[in-house]
Formats: sequence, C-alpha cells, structure tokens
Amino acid sequence: MLEACDISVTLGRKQVLHGAGLKAEPGAMTVIVGPNGSGKTTLLRAITGDLACRGSVTLDRQDMHALPPHALAERRAVLPQASVLAFPFTVLEVVRLGLTGRIALRPDAAQLPTRALERVGLAGYGGRFFQELSGGEQARAQLARVLLQVWEPVQDGTPRWLFLDEPVAALDIGHQLQVMQLARRFAQDGGGVIAVMHDLNLTAMFADRVVLMLDGRVLAQGTVQEVLTDQNLSRAYGCRLRVSSPPAQGATYILPQAAEMA
Amino acid sequence: MVALPWGRSAGRGATADRVTGDRSGRARLTILALVVFVMLAAIASLGTGAAGVSLGDVLVKWLSGEVLSVRDRVVLFDIRLPRLLTGMLVGASLAVSGAVMQGLFRNPLADPGIVGVGAGAGLGAVLAIVLGAFLPPAILAVAGMHLVPLAAFFGGWATTLILYRVSTRAGRTSVATMLLAGIALGALSGALTGILVYIADDQQLRDLTFWGLGSLAGASWAKLAAAAPIMVLALLVAPMLARALNGLALGEGAAAHLGIAVQRMKNLAILTVAAATGAAVAVSGGIGFIGIVVPHLLRLVMGPDHRFLLPAAALLGAGLLLLADIISRLIIAPAELPIGIVTAVLGGPVFLWILLRRRGIVDM
Ligand SMILES: Nc1ncnc2c1ncn2[C@@H]1O[C@H](COP(=O)(O)OP(=O)(O)OP(=O)(O)O)[C@@H](O)[C@H]1O
Ligand SMILES: [Mg+2]
Repeated sequence: MLEACDISVTLGRKQVLHGAGLKAEPGAMTVIVGPNGSGKTTLLRAITGDLACRGSVTLDRQDMHALPPHALAERRAVLPQASVLAFPFTVLEVVRLGLTGRIALRPDAAQLPTRALERVGLAGYGGRFFQELSGGEQARAQLARVLLQVWEPVQDGTPRWLFLDEPVAALDIGHQLQVMQLARRFAQDGGGVIAVMHDLNLTAMFADRVVLMLDGRVLAQGTVQEVLTDQNLSRAYGCRLRVSSPPAQGATYILPQAAEMA
Repeated sequence: MVALPWGRSAGRGATADRVTGDRSGRARLTILALVVFVMLAAIASLGTGAAGVSLGDVLVKWLSGEVLSVRDRVVLFDIRLPRLLTGMLVGASLAVSGAVMQGLFRNPLADPGIVGVGAGAGLGAVLAIVLGAFLPPAILAVAGMHLVPLAAFFGGWATTLILYRVSTRAGRTSVATMLLAGIALGALSGALTGILVYIADDQQLRDLTFWGLGSLAGASWAKLAAAAPIMVLALLVAPMLARALNGLALGEGAAAHLGIAVQRMKNLAILTVAAATGAAVAVSGGIGFIGIVVPHLLRLVMGPDHRFLLPAAALLGAGLLLLADIISRLIIAPAELPIGIVTAVLGGPVFLWILLRRRGIVDM
C-alpha cells in the first residue's frame, strides 16, 4: 500500500500543497482530479520524490524517499506531464531507456521494447525519430518507455507502481480508451496505478478510487460515487455541474462510456 | 531547448535499422572501422616528419636485423612516438570531454573550447607556471611534474562548475545563457592570463610561449608522463557516465526515475570534463573544434547513445588529431604549422555547417 500523509510543498514563495494526503492500494487505479493549479502534479511529484516536501510517503510502511534511486526505479515508473528529449534518438532508443534494472537481464529483454511499442499502438514506429512524432505519438512512446520499466506488474511478490501525470491529455478518444485499458490491466494484474486526469468521464469509467483536489488540499477521496457528486464538482471547478444528466435534446455529445470495447 | 533533431531521416544508411530503430549494430561497426582508422593514422604519423626518416626504411632495417642508427632511433622513439601518443590522448580527451559536456548540458553546442572551459584550464596552467614557485613546498612536492596539468584541471573544473550553476535552472539548461556565460568566463580567464603574462619573468615567458603555441611540437616523454595519467583516468571514467547521460537526455527528473543517481553523476561528469580538458590544454595549448565536430559527426552516423558515442568519440578524436598533426607537419614543410590552426581551419566550417543545419530548429 502507498500512503502519503500531510504533504506540504512550497515552490518559490508560494505554498502549493497544504497537508494533502492520499492512500492507494495495489490492484486498483487511483485517479487524482481537480482544476488547473490545484496541485495535482505537485502532489504526484512530491510522492515520486521529484520535489522536497514535508510529510511522509510510505510504500508498504517503508519510507519511500529513503530508498536509493536504483531500488526505487525497480518499484515504480513515472510518466511526467511534459517530457523533453535532447539529441535525435529514435523511438526505439527512447523506449529502450526504460530497460533498466532486473528487467534488462531477462532473456527476452531485446524484444521487450518492440512489444512495449505494440502495447501503446505504435508498432512499426521504432525507426522514426522521436522528435518527428506528433504530440500524441510522443506521449504514447514515453508511456511505452515507462511501461517497459515496470514490465511485470508484480515482481517476486512485490507490486510495482505506475505514476501517470495526464497520460491521455494529448490523445484522441480511441487511444484514450486504449491507454486507460492498459493502465487498468496493469492494476488488475496486481500493480498499483496513480494517475492525474482531467477527463471526468474517463475517470468515472476507469477509476477505482478518486482523489479530488482544490487549492493544494484534498477536497474528497473515495469511490467514484462518493467523490464525483454535484456538490463536490461544483465546488471544485467553480461552475454548476450535474452528474449523469444528459444535455438538452438535440445537442451532440460523445461519451467514452458509449464506446464498445474489445 | 532543442525542439527538433537535425538529422532528417532515421536510418539514412538504408539498413534494417530504418525499420527497427536499433542503431547499435551500426554503432559497433563504426567503432570497428574507427579502430582501423586510428591504427592507420598512427602508422602515417610515425612515418611523417621533418627529419625525413621513413618508416619503411626503418622497418626493413629492423627486420633484416640491422642496428638502427642513433639518429633513426632518436627521431622515432624520442620525437615521433611521444608526439604520436600525446596526439592520440589529447584528441581522445578533447572529443570525449566534448561529448560528455554536451550530454550533461543536453545540448550539442556545448564544447569545452567554446564555452570557456579551455580558457579556464589555460588560466590554471599559466597560474601554475608563473606563480607555482610561491606555492608551499609541500604542495609542490606532492604535485611534482603534474603541477601544470593539475592546475589546468582545477581551472577547467571551476569554470565548468560556474557555467553549470549559471546556465542550468531546475534541471533545464538555457543555451543562450550557457553560450553567453561561456563567452564571459572565457574573456575573464583570458584577461587574467594576460595579467599573469605581464608579470612573468623571462624564463617563465619562454615557458609560456612554448606552452601557448597550441601545438604538439613540444611533445616529449616528460610532458606526456605529466599529463597522460589524468587523461587516461578521465577516458576510463567516461564510459561509466554513458547510461546516466542517456537518461539525462530525458531531463533530470526522468533520469532520476530511471534509477540514476543524478547529482552524483553530474558531479562525476563535470570532473571528467575538467580533467580531460585540463590535461589536454596543459600539454598542447588550445586545440579547437575537436570536441564539437567529432561527437556531432558520430551522432549523425550512429545516433546519440552514449554507450557507443563515448568510445567512438575517443577513437575518432584520436585519429582526427593525428591527421591534423600530419597536415601541420607537411603543409609548410620543413617548417610546421601549429596544429590549433589546422583544426580551426578544418573544424570552423564544419561547426558553421552544424549551426546552419540547426537554424530555425534551435530555440534559444
Ligand atoms: N516552480 C513553481 N514555482 C512556483 N509555483 C509553482 C511552480 N510550479 C507550480 N507552481 C504553482 O503551484 C500550483 C500547483 O501547480 P500544479 O502543477 O501542481 O497544478 P496541477 O493541478 O497539476 O495543474 P494542471 O491541471 O494545470 O496540470 C499552481 O498554482 C502553480 O502556479
Ligand atoms: Mg499538472
């Protein structure tokens, strides 16, 4: 189990997080939602050790930040909200960077990068330059790298974790569903997933647990039904929102919930 | 930051890697070819020189059991061999420190010569030559003949540290700040060096002129023995940085998530750059463009994977410097041109070509 308690972070002169905390179980998908600037990315970065913070982050009651980088890399992989790349690496070479730690010792290690690319729907893209991909393709290539790092959701009985900051923000609806299913399968196979999301429909569809943030605090956390209520959402997003009510007749709406999935 | 690569199509070699994107096979082939290239360049270098001693003749004599003349032996073993080894080590050090620095700054324009690290190392060397006598005897005894290269190392190290602090914020390097800070640091080092030259006495001035020629002409076993250990150490450490530099291409955060001890690796990279540049500058003065041109050409051929790039850079750097040295000895024979002039004449246009290809792609 992953537990973050009473996390406070100050960036520059601004206190961004005021004692935020969350609990997440392996085998389940935990989704952090909230308006822009509410501190979702900051909370994720505090948990993954990117940022210095007050408070505690424990993984199976172990202080997560006390683990050395290589041990931590065996336990969790992180997809940042925005990624940069210096130098002209090919897509395959970028994905192969995820081949680190014990996974690199597997006999089939050389084939894994290609398989990771297939999983995110980028089969055949290995030979292209990363910087020449579209934004959404770049996002999926980075996801393939991250997936590769924690290829087995459970390693020697220890669950591994995926931290995803807006994994589907740049994707079309088809690839959004594909990536969300990937994440769900990772959780169903015993791994832990913590994802930051903006799309409330996808969140409602895929999340096992929702953490709603506002102004650097956690406003509510629990199941989809408990957290995504008219009252919570209206307060968090500053506009009157109503859950599960179709728009006026004649308006076009396309919901991922309506998709028929394989 | 770099927004796009400057290579236009993957796998322009039209091999299988166009499909798979795996360029490691091609990288291994390149390295193999470079080994042959360095060996050929070394043979050519041993056979070239003002003394007109031909390698073929010497070989024939040696094989037929004839005793070599004193002249042949002096030319080959006391003049050309140390010059050959110095050239190889200096070329390898300059190219590797360029590649490491570019990886560290995540920018293909970072080069110790361009961003003032060479000038800082030069200042260190001149400081040691002019003011070395005032150092406590204990330090002098410990440093011994390594004093000048060590001082050059510290000069280069201080410059690299300052440069990194100034131009990198939150794990991102600003190209413009890096280049401008490099110009400022280079100018400052140059000015301080000028002051030192002004206060140097006659004997020191002779040493300085000799050192500042930017040439391998002064190569000797003694100078090589002073600087070689530092260069060899740097060249041995560099491959250990390869995985970290690959990870750093994704940014510091992502590198850390991949299990890399980022801060420790950055410090090690800075030390390596300073050691390689400092020792190279200490033996041969300023030799430009090797550090930027070599890694760039190699990235075009085999991609930026540092596991292959670093050894390949060492080889190509060594070979190219030997070639430049041969040219410098032949072009106005029997006189000889400082090698720095040759690398500048050849490397300058290549550097401009790199800039042109990147124009509009780099966002300063
Ligand atoms: N480096 C920084 N220095 C100062 N303030 C920062 C810094 N980074 C973020 N902030 C502030 O911290 C707050 C939370 O930022 P954060 O990136 O966590 O938001 P978020 O919830 O992920 O938003 P988004 O939905 O836009 O991604 C914002 O108000 C932001 O302005
Ligand atoms: Mg965010």
